[in-house]
Amino acid sequence: MTPEAAEDLPLFGFTVLEVGEGVSAPYCGKLLADYGADVIKVEPLEGDPARRHGPFPDDATGAGLPHPEKSALFLYLNTNKKGVTLDFSTASGARLLRRLVEEVDVLVENQPPGRLEELALSYQKLAHVNPRLLMISVKPFGEGPYGRWNATNLTSFASGGQMYLTGDPDREPLLTGGYQAEYQAGLNAFAATLAALLGLAVMEVGQHVEVSAMECQACVLENRLPDYAYRRSDALSRRHGNVNSALTLEEALASPQMRARRYFQEVDHPVAGRWVYPGPPFRLTDGPPSDGGWGWRAGRAPLLGEHNEKVFGGLLGLERSDLVRLRAAGVI
Amino acid sequence: MYRLPLSGIRVLDLTMGWAGPYASRLLGDMGAEVIKIESAKNWDVTRSPDLRSQDEEKGYNRSSHFNHLNRNKLGCALDLSHPRGRELFLELVALSDAVMEDHSDDAMDDPGLSYDVLRQARPDTILVTISAHGKDGSEAGHVVGGAHAEQLAGLASVTGYPDRGPHKSGISYSDPESGISAAAALCAALLYRRRTGRGRWVEVAQRESMASLMGEFFVGFSMNGRQPPLLGNRHRSMAPHGCYPCAGPPEAGWLAIAVASDAEFAALCRVMGRSELAADARFADVVSRYRHQDELDEAISAWTQGKTPGEAAMVLQEAGVAASPVASVVDLMEDPHLRERGFFEKTAHLEAGVRLRRMEGVPWRLSLTPAHVRLSAPCFGEHNDYVFRHLLGLSAEEVADLERQGVTGHEPDEAVHG
Repeated sequence: MTPEAAEDLPLFGFTVLEVGEGVSAPYCGKLLADYGADVIKVEPLEGDPARRHGPFPDDATGAGLPHPEKSALFLYLNTNKKGVTLDFSTASGARLLRRLVEEVDVLVENQPPGRLEELALSYQKLAHVNPRLLMISVKPFGEGPYGRWNATNLTSFASGGQMYLTGDPDREPLLTGGYQAEYQAGLNAFAATLAALLGLAVMEVGQHVEVSAMECQACVLENRLPDYAYRRSDALSRRHGNVNSALTLEEALASPQMRARRYFQEVDHPVAGRWVYPGPPFRLTDGPPSDGGWGWRAGRAPLLGEHNEKVFGGLLGLERSDLVRLRAAGVI
Repeated sequence: MYRLPLSGIRVLDLTMGWAGPYASRLLGDMGAEVIKIESAKNWDVTRSPDLRSQDEEKGYNRSSHFNHLNRNKLGCALDLSHPRGRELFLELVALSDAVMEDHSDDAMDDPGLSYDVLRQARPDTILVTISAHGKDGSEAGHVVGGAHAEQLAGLASVTGYPDRGPHKSGISYSDPESGISAAAALCAALLYRRRTGRGRWVEVAQRESMASLMGEFFVGFSMNGRQPPLLGNRHRSMAPHGCYPCAGPPEAGWLAIAVASDAEFAALCRVMGRSELAADARFADVVSRYRHQDELDEAISAWTQGKTPGEAAMVLQEAGVAASPVASVVDLMEDPHLRERGFFEKTAHLEAGVRLRRMEGVPWRLSLTPAHVRLSAPCFGEHNDYVFRHLLGLSAEEVADLERQGVTGHEPDEAVHG
């Protein structure tokens, strides 16, 4: 399939700044980028922590040793983004972040609660810099009594009600594979971003959108919550013990259906190599199935700091000597 | 009128069950005018499974599941298999921005209502089709429930206790997730149309939208050709990482704890009154903790068993350790955090009862245009007049005529989902 022209992608023309780590905000940023937005990802100097989580390709020892450019988790979650490194806890770093915010339509972030406020980078502060800014904050709990609580995918999955329902009735509750609490929050954040972008044309000013992983899950507990609301019955709220046969990863990858639709796509990466990636979660087509476009593009993740010059130099107009100075000061 | 992001967008919704209705609920939450179309012969199955409501008069209007999933929508009865119904539907298409379908209405599989036919009614229309496998390919016609998509996508093969086989989620996980994808997809198509003037056929295959939520497993498999072992509640690079039993009543609760750093581990040990563990060589760093997880889990369980999940989470969080009770539906409805955020909203329903009941709110919190439950779910055919008289401009006699012909009505054939 020949790649689609950039302007045929649905989000062509939108610019996004992602200050995201791990899974939730990066997944939102990935979807925005895969469907055509121009996404700049800001990483700390040592890189997104996802770069340290595997799986990694086996090396000669068969151990799959960690390598910042070879993490399957990072490679998948950051396709089609530009990558810059920036320590915005420094004064010059925060200034650069504000400059970037001036240039974009959307800021997606999942920083630890309170961190951006402490650095004078709250929505209220950034809205002065860019009144049309849409800021999307993806949080485990959101503002409130648990707002400052520490969380991971596991504890988020527990807090939202889905873990209680998953597993065998005679065993401890079970975590669904991977990072489902965080993926769900990221997917919700993506949909919320698009809805807010549609609203922007009407509203003319930006706004702050907060997505709580806990609430995203509490909305989708099948009929358990409605049943309890109607008759205070939680008779159905037991864990399911149904263990089914399931396609393995290999079988899913080889499935004739998935192959016929060319869902899985090979993507090359200068350091990590050429591997198979999942394709689009939805397709925008011009009609019946054809080789025509899907409104989606395959692409690769950025190397650490790969686009520093392009973004800080090209977009913000910094001189080469500025970049050297910022690098020496540990800002970029 | 109070403006919401999707104010002024009209969506004709032919979907039923969970995936499609969750998509259109999100669109309705964001302010779209969603018109849910059912017919006496073909109505939403979630009106029925509620065992109690079936014995009540007009139980199909009192189902908790239906009424939660279909809030912020209007409802109209229109039989698309009837030639006159089809004509009226195409007139509605001309007045609407988008149509959503999931093969619940067989009429949409008929060439008489294809995307091309819809485009004749409105050249820039957007059609969203949700299916299990997608429109093409060898298994395109196979019908699959939302629960099954997890097995087909491979997610169930990486979920499970290490000593048992694959497992699935406790909910039909792919339904709401493909619903959120469909809502996003429709918004993407609207943004595309706003820029180019062109409509789109949007396609969501549940199996594919599910596989997109586990990409690292597929990239990892292509790297190493290995199915990873089942980890249960453990994590490749965090330890301890698990679910621990707590003190009663009415039954034992559970607490999830995840430790991501040496500092957090030291804090956990301190809170448990077991600081010697932090100095123990077996638990010195994440690699050694990973190797000795069984011993660690035993020590943590001994501590959690003397606490309720809420107490334990509170003291651990005060020390900076990620911990959360494993919340049940009852816990969520009493949860102080959700309560203070006003997450649950009080709603009444025309027939299910004027007594205010609590309903989960909107999971996207927009500062300028906060969304709420504005409309309770429609009774069967509740907004027929709005659709036929106001939108289509039919006379009262013409509507009465449609009712006589069975093209519309106010009562579903209850034998359909008997």
